[in-house]
This record gives sequence, structure tokens and C-alpha cells, in this order.
Amino acid sequence: MLSVGFRALFKREVLRFVRRPKNTFMPPAITNVLYFAVFGVILGNRIDQIAGFDYILFIVPGLVVLGAISNAFENASFSIFHGRWNEYIHETLTSPLSYVEMVVAYVGSSAVRGLIVGVIIAAVGRLFVPISIEHGLYLVATMVVVTTLFAGFGIVGGLVARDFDDLTVMNQFILRPLVFFGAVFYSLETFEQAWQVGLSLLNPMVYMVDSVRYGLLGYSDLTGVGILPAPYTEFAPLVSLAVLTACTLVVLAIDVYLFKTGYGLTD
Amino acid sequence: MPPAIETTDLVKEYGDLRALQELSLTVEEGEFFGLLGPNGAGKTTFINTLVGLVRKTGGEARVFGYDVESEYRQARDAIGLAPQEFNVDRFFPVREVLMHKAGYHGIPEDEAAERADEVLKRVGIYDKRNERFDWLSGGMKRRLLLARALVTDPDLLILDEPTAGVDVQLRHDLWDLVTDLNDEGTTILLTTHYIEEAERLCDRVAIMNEGRKVTVATPDDLKRRGSDTVDVRLESAPPAAGALEPALGPYARDVTTRGDHVEVRVDDGGSTAPRLLNDLEAAGHEIADLEISRTSLEEIFVDLTAQEDRTVTRSSASEDADETGEEPTKRAQEGVV
Repeated sequence: MLSVGFRALFKREVLRFVRRPKNTFMPPAITNVLYFAVFGVILGNRIDQIAGFDYILFIVPGLVVLGAISNAFENASFSIFHGRWNEYIHETLTSPLSYVEMVVAYVGSSAVRGLIVGVIIAAVGRLFVPISIEHGLYLVATMVVVTTLFAGFGIVGGLVARDFDDLTVMNQFILRPLVFFGAVFYSLETFEQAWQVGLSLLNPMVYMVDSVRYGLLGYSDLTGVGILPAPYTEFAPLVSLAVLTACTLVVLAIDVYLFKTGYGLTD
Repeated sequence: MPPAIETTDLVKEYGDLRALQELSLTVEEGEFFGLLGPNGAGKTTFINTLVGLVRKTGGEARVFGYDVESEYRQARDAIGLAPQEFNVDRFFPVREVLMHKAGYHGIPEDEAAERADEVLKRVGIYDKRNERFDWLSGGMKRRLLLARALVTDPDLLILDEPTAGVDVQLRHDLWDLVTDLNDEGTTILLTTHYIEEAERLCDRVAIMNEGRKVTVATPDDLKRRGSDTVDVRLESAPPAAGALEPALGPYARDVTTRGDHVEVRVDDGGSTAPRLLNDLEAAGHEIADLEISRTSLEEIFVDLTAQEDRTVTRSSASEDADETGEEPTKRAQEGVV
């Protein structure tokens, strides 16, 4: 898997975003300073604790997920689409890399960008509130899985898009609403109606935000909403991670299939 | 050793349009092979099928014996492509672009850097190595495409109209470079609109039209297929062409008169001219002057593609177009300009 060709493409993809911090790392850093200042400090002081946490601390995991998956998606979709638009993706396509190597390089590098942004947001949060990590290994595994999942979606987006507007639509009208209704800024316990909780559980973001919150704060909404029968409720985070991992593998398989068939890449 | 390129009944369809129609072509290892044809003849589609940018609809295509789909990695590794379009990575300085391309072909970073410098020097833009592609002039961009094709040290170099829109100096530089590469053993597939280029460089050329192979031959063979025109000036005006024809042998394919000139179309002007002069003198005409116009490859090309068009037209269109052949000829001529 780690052939010279794969490493070359992976490095090229990482260098592309590392050399442009103004476009890649500065925006999420600034946006999250604003989020923490407004939602965390100004509004947060007027909100009671949620699940025993100060509001500003409660929203840290959600903001980390929001930034990480948005950037993973954006990086993969942009890299693929821009390469298609200017046709320089031909440099990759006409090379002897296998389709699996191509996909893993594009997805892996985009996931790395998502992870870096996640760390930046956590660091920004740390400026406002002390954060300790409760389940480090679980947190790392979850972050790797969700950024890989969205990098994988980004590949599909980059292949399906016909112009740059399509990419904006995907990010603004699909990704962002799902994240905002993914319990980033509130707990599922907030809902009084069962249907509200039921509807939320259909949103895949809920599981991602909850998993990262569990990894970071040691608290999971899902253990309390009955998705698993007693006495297994405490395994909800592990089940979430397993399901997310399975979804990621499916999306990666779709990516490889699309590359293999040349969808959006060849005539 | 298998041929550098071997295709059998290669077909590419875009909906109702058949861009390649049962194209069978063989390019031997070490050859300098030209692909000629008007716009839309299928030249670029053919090339892109070999490198994986176009998926064939039917038939087979092999590069050095490797199937371009089931053994795509080996096939692509053997090819260096300088395409028509400027499809170069805009994010990195050109030296790094070349290093990346070499890397994708499995060349370790240190060696990739050496090769990048080497090919940049070879195409004459080493001093621009830290510039991005967008800042290069048109001619430099064309040179970079060639450098990128060379950086992987390919066994088969494919040049898709490399001299389109470049100045004379660069064109000659490129010709010298690719000739050297071919002398060093690299197989070269060149598509071009410039007949002179094919005539000058290629061992063999294939003429394509509307996705079909019209013919494959050496440039000399092709020229021999054309007719020459022998223009004889007589001391006194000859009778009408119809009256002259009986005096000349069957070698005279077409006889016209104009003032004191007789124009005769023959297969091979050089060897036929003495006989023509003898026949004219035997018929009582005194010769004042003689000029032989050889058929250019360009005229043969137009003629061949026009014939092909007529064949296609005959099978699908009206008898009028078939009779005159004007419309297809015009199309073919427009195509090669």
C-alpha cells in the first residue's frame, strides 16, 4: 500500500493545503474563536449547565466535529473537482497508481486536514475553557473514522459536481444543517417529545458528535435515550463507532468503484 | 518483443457517435509513427484510450503487450504523454509538478528531483523551474508538457499536436529533441495537423478520418500514390486536349491544354516525362519547356480523406453528394488547415 507512487500523491495532497494556511487553517480558527466567544462566553453565561458541564465546554466536541468533517469533505471534494476542472487530475489518472492507492491518498490526506482542523479548534476552545480528555484512544479512533468518512463523501461530491456551485450547495445546504441539528449546541435531553429524539437519531451527525463528546468529556447522550436495551446502554458509544466504521468502509468502497469505472473522470 | 501499440477492432462510442470505428493499428517498438487526420478524426480519442482517459466501448488495445484496462498499471507506466491541452497542476512550481509526476511512476524523491532538473534543462526552461505553470509563456508551457512526458523516462512517448501554435524556432527545437529521443530508442507516436512535420519525422503514418483508419504507409509510399502533373510548353499552341490524347499512351490520366501549354497528369512524373516528350514530338509538336509538379503529401492527405468521405457518403447520403464529392472534399480541407 505504501508504494513510492502512493506516498508521492499523498504528499502532494498534504502539501497543497499545508502551504495555504490562509485558505485552510485560518478560517476555521477564526470562525471558532467567534463561536466560542459568542455562544460560549456571551450566551453561555446565561445558560444553565448541560449534563453537568458548563455550556462552553459542552459545545467543544460538536464544534470540533463540525470543523473536522467540513474540512475533510471540502478538501477531498475541492481537490478532485479542481483537478477535474483544470484537467490536471490526468497527471494522476495516467500514472501507474492503482485505483485503491489513488482513493486512499486523496481520502487519507483530506482526513489529515480534518484532524488538524479538529486539533486547532480544540486548541482554540482551550483558550476559553480547560479541557481534559476522558477517553483518548476512543476519541482518536472516532476522529479518524469521521474525518475519513467525510473525506470519502468528499470524493463522491468532487466526482459528481458539475461546477463549483454544486460544491457550495453540498457543504452549505446538506452538510451544515445536518451538523447543526446533530446536537452540537444542545443535548438530546433537551427534547421533551419522543418524536424529537427519534427524528434526531435518524441524523448520522448525532452519533458522530456524541462519540466525540464521549471521547472528550466522557458523556454520551445516547446512553440515556434507549437505543440499546439495558444493561447494554453504556455500550452505545462503541456501537456508534462500529457503525460509523462500517459506513466509512462502504463509502471508501464506493470511491474505489467510481475511480475504477472512471465516473466523472474519464470519457 | 510485443509491439509498442497494438489495437484490434477498437471502438469508442459516445451515444450515437462512433469516435473510433473498428480501428486496428500496430506501432512497432522503436518506430516514429505519425497519426494524421482532420479535426474529429479520432486521433486524441485513440491516444486517450491508451492512457486511460477514455474507456473503450469494444475491441482490444495493448501497450508493449499489456492490456490498457486489465493491465493498466504496466501499460500506463510505459507511456509519457504530452497532450494538446494544458492540463498541468497549478498549485506547485513546475519543478515540483515534474517531481510529483515522477513519484506517481514509482521514482524515489531524490531521483525524481534529478530527473526533473535534467528534463527541464533538456527542454530549455530550467531557469523557470520555480515558476508556476500559469506564469509561463505559451511556448514554455508547451515545453513543460514535453518535460512532464519525459520525466518518467517512457518507452513510448505520445505527442498530441506538440507544435500546434508554437513559433518556428520552438518547432525546430522540438523536432530535434524528439528525433534524438527516437534515435535513443524511444517509440514515438505523434499526431499532427502539419503534414510537413509528419513527412519530416515519421517512419510511417496512419491517416485517420471519422474514427477509421484510411491507410498506413511510409511518407514516401504515400507520395508515390499521388499523381504528378507534367506541364509542357510547346513552341506553338497545341490542338484541343481531345485531339492530343490519342497520341499519348495510357499513362496520361488527364490531359488539358491552355494556350501553348499541355498539362498531363501521370502517376510518376520523373519516369514518365521522357516518354511524354517523345510522344509529343512524334505527334509533330516542338517542345519549348518542361515542368513537373510533384504531389505534396498534403494533397494526398486531402485526396485520401476526401475519398474516405465519399465512401461514407455513398453508403449513407444522397447520390448528388456522391457524384460531385465537393462537400466532403471541402470538409477534409477545412480539417487540415
